[in-house]
Amino acid sequence: MFLRSLLPSILLSGACVVSAASSWSFEDATLSIQSKGSAVGAGAKEKFSPTSPLAKSVSLGTSDSLKLLLTTTDGKKAKRPHQAFLTLTDPTTGVEESFVFGVKESGKAKLDLTQKDLPIQFLTSTKPIPASIVIGSFGASSPYNSKVFDLSITRDQNVPLAVPEKPVRYAAEPEIHHIFRSDPQSPPKIITLVFAAAVVGALPVLLGVWATLGANANHLSKALSNAPISHALFVGSILAMEGIFFMYYTTWNLFQTLPAAGVVGLVAFISGSRALTEVQERRLAGLR
Amino acid sequence: MRWLFSFLALALFCVVNARSFTGSRLLVVLEEESEREKYGVFLGDLESRGFTITTLTPKSESLSLFKHGARAYDHLLLLPTKSKGLGPALTANLLLDFMKKEGNVLLALSAETGTPTAVQSLLLEVDIHIPSDRNALVVDHFNYDSTSAAEKHDVLLLPFPKPARSDVKDYFGGEGVIAVPRAVGQTLGNESPLLAPILKAPSTAYSYNPKDEADIVEEPFAVGQQLNLVSAMQSLNSARLTVLGSAEALQNAWFAEKATLAGKAVKTANRDFAAKLSSWAFKETGVLKVGKLTHYLNEGSSKKLNSSSALPENNPKIYRIKNDVAFQIEVSEYTSTHLTPFELPPNDILQLEFSMLSPFHRLNLSPISQTANSTIFGASFRTPDQHGIFNFAVKYNRPFLTGIEEKRQVTVRHFAHDEWPRSWQISAAWVWIAGIWVTVAGWVVFVGVWLYSAPVGAAVKGGKKTQ
Amino acid sequence: MAATEGDQFLKQATGPKTRGLLRVIILVLIAGAAVSSRLFSVIRFESIIHEFDPWFNFRATKYLVANGFYDFWDWFDDRTWHPLGRVTGGTLYPGLMVTSGVIYHFLRFLTLPVDIRNICVLLAPAFSGLTAFATYLLTNEMVSSPSAGLLAAAFMGITPGYISRSVAGSYDNEAIAIFLLVFTFFLWIKAVKLGSMFWGALTALFYGYMVSAWGGYVFITNLLPLHAFVLICMGRYSPRLYVSYTSWYALGTLASMQIPFVGFLPIRSSEHMSALGVFGLIQLVAFVEFVRAQLPSKQFQTLLRALVVLIFVVAVGGLVLLTVGGVIAPWTGRFYSLWDTGYAKIHIPIIASVSEHQPTAWPAFFFDLNLMIFLFPAGVYMCFRTLTDEQVFIVIYSVLASYFAGVMVRLMLTLTPIVCVAAAMAFSQILDTYLDAKTPKVDAKTAENGSSEPAKVAAAAVLSDGLRSTRNPLVGIYSYASRVTVVGFSAIYLLIFVLHCTWVTSNAYSSPSVVLASRLPDGSQHIIDDYREAYYWLRQNTPENAKIMSWWDYGYQIGGMADRPTLVDNNTWNNTHIATVGKAMSSKEEVSYPIMRQHEVDYVLVVFGGLLGYSGDDINKFLWMVRIAEGIWPEEVKERSFFTPRGEYRVDEGATDTMKNSLMYKMSYYNYNSLFPAGQAQDRVRNVRLPSEGPQLNVIDEAFTSENWIIRIYKVKDLDNFGRDHHSAVSFDKGHKKKRAAKRKGPKVLRVE
Repeated sequence: MFLRSLLPSILLSGACVVSAASSWSFEDATLSIQSKGSAVGAGAKEKFSPTSPLAKSVSLGTSDSLKLLLTTTDGKKAKRPHQAFLTLTDPTTGVEESFVFGVKESGKAKLDLTQKDLPIQFLTSTKPIPASIVIGSFGASSPYNSKVFDLSITRDQNVPLAVPEKPVRYAAEPEIHHIFRSDPQSPPKIITLVFAAAVVGALPVLLGVWATLGANANHLSKALSNAPISHALFVGSILAMEGIFFMYYTTWNLFQTLPAAGVVGLVAFISGSRALTEVQERRLAGLR
Repeated sequence: MRWLFSFLALALFCVVNARSFTGSRLLVVLEEESEREKYGVFLGDLESRGFTITTLTPKSESLSLFKHGARAYDHLLLLPTKSKGLGPALTANLLLDFMKKEGNVLLALSAETGTPTAVQSLLLEVDIHIPSDRNALVVDHFNYDSTSAAEKHDVLLLPFPKPARSDVKDYFGGEGVIAVPRAVGQTLGNESPLLAPILKAPSTAYSYNPKDEADIVEEPFAVGQQLNLVSAMQSLNSARLTVLGSAEALQNAWFAEKATLAGKAVKTANRDFAAKLSSWAFKETGVLKVGKLTHYLNEGSSKKLNSSSALPENNPKIYRIKNDVAFQIEVSEYTSTHLTPFELPPNDILQLEFSMLSPFHRLNLSPISQTANSTIFGASFRTPDQHGIFNFAVKYNRPFLTGIEEKRQVTVRHFAHDEWPRSWQISAAWVWIAGIWVTVAGWVVFVGVWLYSAPVGAAVKGGKKTQ
Repeated sequence: MAATEGDQFLKQATGPKTRGLLRVIILVLIAGAAVSSRLFSVIRFESIIHEFDPWFNFRATKYLVANGFYDFWDWFDDRTWHPLGRVTGGTLYPGLMVTSGVIYHFLRFLTLPVDIRNICVLLAPAFSGLTAFATYLLTNEMVSSPSAGLLAAAFMGITPGYISRSVAGSYDNEAIAIFLLVFTFFLWIKAVKLGSMFWGALTALFYGYMVSAWGGYVFITNLLPLHAFVLICMGRYSPRLYVSYTSWYALGTLASMQIPFVGFLPIRSSEHMSALGVFGLIQLVAFVEFVRAQLPSKQFQTLLRALVVLIFVVAVGGLVLLTVGGVIAPWTGRFYSLWDTGYAKIHIPIIASVSEHQPTAWPAFFFDLNLMIFLFPAGVYMCFRTLTDEQVFIVIYSVLASYFAGVMVRLMLTLTPIVCVAAAMAFSQILDTYLDAKTPKVDAKTAENGSSEPAKVAAAAVLSDGLRSTRNPLVGIYSYASRVTVVGFSAIYLLIFVLHCTWVTSNAYSSPSVVLASRLPDGSQHIIDDYREAYYWLRQNTPENAKIMSWWDYGYQIGGMADRPTLVDNNTWNNTHIATVGKAMSSKEEVSYPIMRQHEVDYVLVVFGGLLGYSGDDINKFLWMVRIAEGIWPEEVKERSFFTPRGEYRVDEGATDTMKNSLMYKMSYYNYNSLFPAGQAQDRVRNVRLPSEGPQLNVIDEAFTSENWIIRIYKVKDLDNFGRDHHSAVSFDKGHKKKRAAKRKGPKVLRVE
């Protein structure tokens, strides 16, 4: 990324240190971590120099404050530079933030750092954050920029961190696929068939029972001779009605069904009253 | 095919008149007419690219961004002026109105003259911040030109920027170093997705006020990469506002100047950068155009081959739930002279949302085919099992590309009464169907028996006569 | 069809031919009176569809006529309930539209091209004539006196209780449903009397028609079983009852299940369980009766009775278990609110918010029924005196309907027919008694025995002298003076009744509510037409697909008159969606805006009566919006915060901040100040002076305000072009420059790409 593109130039500037007449640096650098409540001056003090950064990372707790003391030098002489920064760079996102040293005329520089001063990106960082010191000023002296220690942030898990909502950035979003409801299931076909067979089987049973009770169609000829047209029409219309139902079930729509059913119904009504009169005559004649 | 011709005609039209996608009228506002000379090469380059340039000063009477309520110019280049105000024709509101009507603005700031109040409040509105001190400028003790700014370190020499994200197209890359003399640094608010940095300051750079902070910088305005030397805002209607921290960088003096970076002699490539920057700012590059957008039923008799680009306009208003639907969109990118097939940046995806209140589907569109100047992206999917009024939505907003926001409303209806599977196709219904027909048969037999049965004893015979 | 049947009935009603002819003429005149008294609104305003629901029915009818029956059946309406849409074909009672459609096509078949709108407008009056006729038939089944039926028909024709729902233009389900209700009851009585499968089947047929026409069919579904149940309990089980009930239930249930909206409800919902239960019970009783006839042993009979009781208890227990288990849908909220008037207010504000669902005020009974409300108990008492099977029906009906009418205003409608019947019975009794000039003794006898009505004879045979109350003692007043007095007063009362009905109809029930009428100082009528003005503005100035957000009351009208998609409408099937609109209306702009964006709202419509003193405006309905929204988002919308600490609902200076910041308040009073001199803005509905500083709107722009400010339409802004929030964008446009943020304490916010 951008940082990487800068590396050559930084390296180049590093090379300048050797050649230039004077170069910015620092000395007497101490770093101490003070916990809240503990006495001033307590806490480990660690020394480091421009050429030997701290080997192990410095841990900064929620209530700790990091104190950095050093003296800036130009060549061998203590001098105040225009720029004296402690720059933190988040290793994952590359975000950086610099903290300005308070520098006196004598070159004595001081920096206090607590978690409250850190932007949210650093507080949520899990890796140690490299911290480098940048010292530079106008003129020909070559500036100084080098990593001096790693800062690792330890947070109290009990103290919730107010992480602001991630701002919108235009980018591709994760795919979404609609999850369909599952289709309704039918029971196993074998069960269905068994029950269907049972239902169908009821018909022969019924007919058998009727037959044993003496049902017959012996009067058919008599009825047909008494009122041939009305009986034929009546039975025919009943069958036709069932046929209409079948057609409606398979292909017809309501507007084909209704007129047909109306016509057949009328036929059934008229022929039925005649046919039933004939049946009644038979009943009155004791033939039923 | 007619649309293709119109595309070609449009492309041709653009070549003849201007190379910007939106128009060629460019207004340059500068302090006084004589200043024009300083920017002569840059403006000459623009003119040779087809822009018609009108140069005016803030004081000139004829200065007006609008004519009869419409934009009088397509683009505006604001070069630094000495006065604090820019006059009644260039207030912040008018500049925003100009952009609301899709005018593009290239703002060149300068640390020497300070920034006019109208520009300040304009920048504040779009969440770009500049130092409150008039003369604050950016220095870097690491990457300065030791030829011209050996003492002050205020001429930065930087390589061409690389895209900040891997899924963003690179419109500003190049070879060489860019000289950025006496720049006004900008920071961008974190909330707005419309903003994008073009050229960031190096990590060691910072902005300071040479008057108050001559000895040491105590509270720098911004430091390192949070500081931008060139930044851009592309509004929702794709009007572009480009902020260039150093107007000097556009001057002839810096277009091919010898400079020294860390002891090495280099030559500035400002002319190249200025061309790239202005062609982006004035919409010669990074402009997307949506061509044909089709969706159609992709099942049964209407199933078609996806590859056909000559598909008839076939966008039904209504689908059913669980229909297979195909969707295609044609996207072109305008590059300087003509429309070319749009190619996505390597890590980016064009996406289709099928949404009602919230997206039910969000699908990656894959390039299906290419025409001479467009790419056809497509996807096919099944409509959800939820009826309602849905939208096919393609929203493609990316830094440095004009936005695509296409929405097509369709209705997804429920199953009609005759679209369900018939009862005999459902095995569980067989029992009931059997029951119905058994009842029918039994009823018919019963009618026969009832009508024609003789009393018991007369004869014994089965009762199936009627059937 | 009705005419041929009528002839048949008239012949049955005996008497010389002149009497029959007179009856026909009288009935025709009654029908004419019924129709013409409903035409006030057409004459006074124009042939226009009224109110709210009729606009949907009208729109649906137009769709049916334009696209045919099957398209109507499968209609998915994508212009309501945006973006959910409505499966309209499956969620409406199609009877009304199909009826109009059939009439429309029939008239076209007769080469009478009548505009569908006129058919819709005049359908209700036309059916009211039929209702009068059906009432005549029903009453004739109840009493021997032929005059009672005519009186009942006349009452039914002009009573305001029915007119309120059936004036011309009131194209609602009730328009045909009341006719079907009365006619179904008539067929049922006929079936019970005759024990005829034919009449039972006819009952089922018209019951099916009724189901297709109105959700109130549940009333029949419960009343007929209750009648049967009471008869069984009274020990009046008979094969006639068995035949009529079973044929009605079997066929009627099948018929009702053909309506997609009803579907399997008859076997799945509690409202229908009584019919099913009585169907089961009557099978049991029939079985027991059959067995008892075979086995005359006394102990066995007791055993059987115990069995019946046991099975009944088990069945009820099973029903309860199934309901708890969720197989049978428990009673719906609307049904609960019938039993407990407070229920809806607490649990379902959306039901309580409808004015029709409020409990009836006592004066309403007199207002709607006038003198009949006094005669009604007398008629019911007379039924108790003879208490034949059909009179039991009257008693049950009147008790149930009285209760329901007391609970809900709109159910006054179901009470009206029985009040007419009972009142006519009482009144005809008076008239018969006092108008009869002959000597009482002979007359009473001939009157009793002379009637050859088979039912009467049958009833007499069944009851004979078993009950003391059925014996008619021969007492009376025979002096002419008292007769003339009574008859005279009765006539005066009748005339007053007619006057009252006409007055009520003309003044209270003939306003289309789409068009308002007011009187100018000189007494001339002034038409306030803001609704149509605004709806036509929408129709002509907005894109065809512009989504309109308004409170649900106006959904149907916007759909019908403006032809624009709406978010919610009067078909309140989705409480959450309505609550969403309520939340958008009652929240701050910043909260409402994302909701409106998500629902793609283009315009917001509010009704504001403050200028005119029109009290039915949205600010007065506002608390319902708040309550409904609170039901879904109790954390975000709180009714309490709309009241001042002293518990007042105020819109003036003392209004709470929540109230003042709500979108509804802002939309109502936006720019209202500009009409008045500074500080003098006055709300004429709530009679308060408004704050001198009017509300500011950021996320919407005023688009249209009607002449009298009744309708105000706002356009929802797009997202700000430069990513700002609307508040700062508006203040910037007004010239307030943004202040540079002061130096902030704490860490810097770093920008990450």
